[in-house]
Amino acid sequence: MSHLDNPFSKPSGEKVTCLEMLQVILDGEATEEQHLYFKKHMDACMPCYKSFELDMQIRQLIKSKCCGGQVPEDLVDRIKSQVNSIS
Amino acid sequence: MEGSSRSQYSEKEKLTVFNNEFLPHINSMYNFGYRLTLDEDDAKDLVQDTYMKAYRFIESFQKGTNAKAWLFRILKNSFINDYRKKSKEPNKVDYQEVESYYNSDDVDRQITTDLRVEALQNMIGDEISNALNALDVDFRTVIILADLEGFKYDEMAKILDIPIGTVRSRLHRARNLLKDKLSEYAKKMGYKNA
Repeated sequence: MSHLDNPFSKPSGEKVTCLEMLQVILDGEATEEQHLYFKKHMDACMPCYKSFELDMQIRQLIKSKCCGGQVPEDLVDRIKSQVNSIS
Repeated sequence: MEGSSRSQYSEKEKLTVFNNEFLPHINSMYNFGYRLTLDEDDAKDLVQDTYMKAYRFIESFQKGTNAKAWLFRILKNSFINDYRKKSKEPNKVDYQEVESYYNSDDVDRQITTDLRVEALQNMIGDEISNALNALDVDFRTVIILADLEGFKYDEMAKILDIPIGTVRSRLHRARNLLKDKLSEYAKKMGYKNA
């Protein structure tokens, strides 16, 4: 694959780095074509594979450790009654 | 909020929009509030205040558009305008200063050689949460929006009132700073190469 076929390529023709590709993927901004390209690329590029694995692991941990907070029950009731009182 | 695109709602419609489009996001809103203030009571106040504002300004919400992003934007603004001013965070850092400081090449380096997946897998306690909370609030915010809530660049740009390019670079820096923090914890846990 020449970098001309790289769906991450910039309009300027400047070569795109692994780190830049990885960020597009991580940020959820990649197209399907870019996902496929990056998946293939990772098979041949160990640093990319490792970075990707690490970043996904971090994201998964953040999701499992920083999301679970249950909304205090009285908060919803407080909001509902306040809205009802002004509507 | 664009003045030209105001919707007209009857009282009944207002309540329907509020109950069906706004309230379902309460979990995410509370979590966002909590991660910003790091205090349960402050988070409750911030979320309640946000919902009241959302109801009061419901005319500027267009049905069918992204209610969650709209609510997040109100919460973020309330945090900056009301909460931050009130609490006068003693250790508040000027964001521009932080941004230019972290704009150095040093922080843009790839950290993967340091931190290892095996070290992360052993972080079963609060390390991840603590690492996230230890980031400056602006960096914390982009991680929450992108990685916890799945917002896209354009949505984040609107929520934060910053250009898309800034969203991208801030997110990049935030991820590196988070890895630095995690790497510190890993070292404390005895991972030599972490």
